[in-house]
Amino acid sequence: MLGFLAARQAGLDDPLRLRRAESTRRVLGLELNPDRDVDRIHGNGINTIDIDAIEGRYMLSGGADGVIAIYDLENFSGKPQYTCKAVCTVGRSSQYVHKFSVETVQWYPYDTGMFVSSAFDKTMKVWDTETLKPAEVFQFEDNVYSHHLSSIARKHSLIAVGTKNPKIQLCDLKSGSRIHVLQGHRAEVLSVQWSPRYEHILASASADSKVKVWDVRRASGSLLTLDQHNGDKTKASSEAVNTAHNGRVNGLCFTGDGLYILTAGTDDRMRLWNSATGENTLVNYGKVCNESRKKLQFTVSRGCSPEFVFVPCGSSIAVYALHTGELVAMHRGHYNNVDCCEFHPDYQELYSGGKDGNILAWVPVLHASDVEEESNSSNKAAANQSSVNPAFQDAWSSDED
Amino acid sequence: MELSQRERLSELVEELTTSGQPQLSQDKMNELKKICKVSNDCIDHLYHSVMAQLNQEHCEVRLSAFQIASELFTRSHHFRTLLVDNFQEFLELTVETDSDQPLPPPKEVARKLRSLALQTVQSWQALYGTAYKKLALGYHFLKQVKKVDFQDAEARSIAERRREEERRRRMERIYKEKVEAASKDMEDSYQEIEATLTEIEACMGLLFPEFGLTDIQTVIRNPSNSQQALKCPLDDEQPCCSKNMRDNRTRGMDEEVEGSREERKGNGKEDKMSNEEEEELYDEDVFIRNSGLISHSYSLDLNLSPGLHVQETEDNEAVVSTLIDLHRLITTKHLPAVKGWVQVFTKAGAEQQLLRRALDLRKSLEAALQKHTELHIDYRTRVRKVMNAFSDKEEDDDDDDDDFDEVPEKEGYEPHIPEHLRGEYGLDPTPSTSAAPVTGKPPAKRPAAPPPHSSSHSPSSRRMKHLTEEEQDPTCAAATLRLLRQNLPLSVESSSGSSVLGSSQSSSDQKPVDAPVVPFGLDLYYWGQEQPNAGKIIKAASQHQFWVPVEVEEEVENEQLLAESRSRYISFPGSFTPVSHYCRAPLGNGKLCQRQDRLKCPFHGQIVPRDQEGRPCSQEDRLREERRKREEQPDWRDAELMRDIEAVTGENLGSDRVGKKGKGKKKKFPNLSDLKQSANTSRSRLEKKVFNKSSMRRVAQVMSKADGRKHDKFSNQFNYALN
Repeated sequence: MLGFLAARQAGLDDPLRLRRAESTRRVLGLELNPDRDVDRIHGNGINTIDIDAIEGRYMLSGGADGVIAIYDLENFSGKPQYTCKAVCTVGRSSQYVHKFSVETVQWYPYDTGMFVSSAFDKTMKVWDTETLKPAEVFQFEDNVYSHHLSSIARKHSLIAVGTKNPKIQLCDLKSGSRIHVLQGHRAEVLSVQWSPRYEHILASASADSKVKVWDVRRASGSLLTLDQHNGDKTKASSEAVNTAHNGRVNGLCFTGDGLYILTAGTDDRMRLWNSATGENTLVNYGKVCNESRKKLQFTVSRGCSPEFVFVPCGSSIAVYALHTGELVAMHRGHYNNVDCCEFHPDYQELYSGGKDGNILAWVPVLHASDVEEESNSSNKAAANQSSVNPAFQDAWSSDED
Repeated sequence: MELSQRERLSELVEELTTSGQPQLSQDKMNELKKICKVSNDCIDHLYHSVMAQLNQEHCEVRLSAFQIASELFTRSHHFRTLLVDNFQEFLELTVETDSDQPLPPPKEVARKLRSLALQTVQSWQALYGTAYKKLALGYHFLKQVKKVDFQDAEARSIAERRREEERRRRMERIYKEKVEAASKDMEDSYQEIEATLTEIEACMGLLFPEFGLTDIQTVIRNPSNSQQALKCPLDDEQPCCSKNMRDNRTRGMDEEVEGSREERKGNGKEDKMSNEEEEELYDEDVFIRNSGLISHSYSLDLNLSPGLHVQETEDNEAVVSTLIDLHRLITTKHLPAVKGWVQVFTKAGAEQQLLRRALDLRKSLEAALQKHTELHIDYRTRVRKVMNAFSDKEEDDDDDDDDFDEVPEKEGYEPHIPEHLRGEYGLDPTPSTSAAPVTGKPPAKRPAAPPPHSSSHSPSSRRMKHLTEEEQDPTCAAATLRLLRQNLPLSVESSSGSSVLGSSQSSSDQKPVDAPVVPFGLDLYYWGQEQPNAGKIIKAASQHQFWVPVEVEEEVENEQLLAESRSRYISFPGSFTPVSHYCRAPLGNGKLCQRQDRLKCPFHGQIVPRDQEGRPCSQEDRLREERRKREEQPDWRDAELMRDIEAVTGENLGSDRVGKKGKGKKKKFPNLSDLKQSANTSRSRLEKKVFNKSSMRRVAQVMSKADGRKHDKFSNQFNYALN
């Protein structure tokens, strides 16, 4: 750390280098922190969360009970102990609430005054944050599994919607209508994602075990279909041609720079693809438990020098190194399956929601530095700690001698 | 951490968890804590061994492991961090948070473990919830997601409660259906039961009318009593009740003389009493003429035994048989049905009215049965009745005709049986109903003098007449016998064993005793005859009707057949001689084998003569026995020797195994309750047999072979060639 600082001071290093090193260190120190809590709003499982891109301050969450909540993540109290308050909620008492399980929520990328949510009640609602009323409601024929707004789009304001219908719908926020469908999948579309690099590029994952990359300007069909065998016909059986997984593909995620696509399937595999060529990079992540029938929301860190993938794996969250596939850590904290996780790029914090109705904040814990600042010996630190909380003391009774 | 400590810890954990006790042993726990206090390494090790034990598929083990964990949880911070880190798994293993992983058997212990774990988690949460985030999360998970009500005494989760509720609802539905079915049933058979009840009431009324001695007057005034319905109609020329009555009259007089008799009691007497009164009303003249008694006034001693006693007679036979049928109907059909309804109604809490109705039914049915038992009806054997129904009826018909025939009743005390009756005794293979009173009555009926006026229809006289009639009939056995008697007066007279009949007697066989009795055979059939075509077989070489080859030898002589027709096989099995010797081989308990096999004892082999201690007498037997013993146990496996070697080398060669070979496997943890024992059901045993690997393989083999054969035979046919 000091070395980095010195180099930075001397101008030897790129400023990015220090930043990356530090954020990597913080990501590696992620831990379930007793100081950070998130209000318990949802009575049921949490399907999706999203942190706004502008300030990084507000977090949206959608639950299986149809409730949507907005949390304030910023801690202005000056104390380490902080509970993220729910700023406002669309509760069951609201007349606009989703009837069934909310599957996806997303902030409007340029402003926190608007967000979009879609649910199993076959609707997608565009909400005004101020009044908590839907400004627009899109009605579909089938359950909506996922939707996505492009975070970089300047020439269009399209929402891609994956429903039970194999056709991907494109809804235009400007006109408030469904303007386009993308045909090509043969089963329900579980996840859609815009590329963070090119505003017209869209990726979709479907239950027919295929992942397709589309250019929405091209009406005739998809650009690419990701093939797990990279077109090697000898390895693929006839029905497995052009498939990305050997089961349903329910997780889809671009890396921060948009150069790679990560997919997760119910074959308990995660694959990394080159988004430009559609080539399977054949990174082996090992077994990634995935039993979800619905969309699985996972995320990639930003601004670390080796990037990390945070992926729900049963009731824990697995952290892999993106390019090597090495399992870095396993965060266990949920008591039931984890459905979604979101990375906060500014503070290197991780938020995860699971079927047990908890949103857990995984906050970097920097023990060593703290202790060094406060005291010289680790012994003293322990004593100090125990004086802080009596629960950490050992309680051996004397009669056992 | 030292190796010894580590070992000791593992040992202690294993001992504690496999003790099978609901509480941990305090001493061992203290020792454990003492070791754990030394360092965190010990706690690490302990944590892992406890978790390993918690993973065992035995709830007693889990309970003990959980108790260890809870003891240490309150003491060591390090243990707390370790456990809380893995709290999901801990809850899965103790509280059954994952429904896919239920707690293992035994069930009671599982329940106990669950409630104990929930209580403990609650107390932990109160103590350490703020400090250990995951503990708090786990507690909330239990509370919010699993909806465990910690106040609930049974600490059931919402799912369990729902299950309970569901089960209750299902039971309710089942009960409702049952009640409906039962009430419908009751509606259907109510009429029938009522009818049965009235019928049985009427029957019992017939057998034993509801009045005492004081009610006689009313009976007199009301002659249309039930008895008339029972017996012959009164307007009959000679009503049978009056016949009975006469009998009774004389008997009543006898009673005066001799005292009361035992066999006729209660009802019978009353019956007769009332009959008597009726008779008086009916026609006095007849009475006087018949009985010769001028005076009606005579005293009658009645011996009324406290219990009722109805004897089945010919007269009330029909009623009694109806009664029996009804009784059987009630006991086997109605009463169980009604009881079932009552049970269903009470269990399901049905309407009061239905229940009351069923209860009433049951009460009346039971009352009827009770009354029936109080009657103490003497049943005659039904089988006989059926066999002789015809003859009885015939006799009854006879009664009307020769009522006044004066035939002395004497068979009871006659010193010798008259000739004509002798034939009857010999002839009649089954004693008839009417014969039974004949033989049964004599000791009872002992009047001072045979009353000349007494009833004419004594069974024997009737039988006599009957017999003569029968003899006229050539198809009757009696006629044949009469013929025989006439032909062979000597043999019938001389030997009462007249069953030795037939031609053997008539032929000149002087020594019937010596002649062997052999089964009938071909040789006897052709006895003393020359058989013309014995052993000859007609050979039909051509099956054709009329196309026959010319030079065909139609008849073939078969020596064997010829011999067979003249010879007789006599098998000679010899006679059975019981075994008198014992095996006498020495047994393990010091006794001698007491088996009595002829040649070979299944346990000790060839039976040889042995001395007092059970040692074989002869040298070679002794040697052979020793050799056999040695063969059973190869000498390098001699237990003593192995123990010595083990003592020297310190390696376990299994000497203890050798010693108690064949005594069954020793249970590893004798204190734990055996899970397999409870699983030892008929189903599991059958499963073991049926799904046995080898038997499955065998069956599969046979099947595939059959298939293969089919393939071999019919492979040219397309539908077999395919598989």
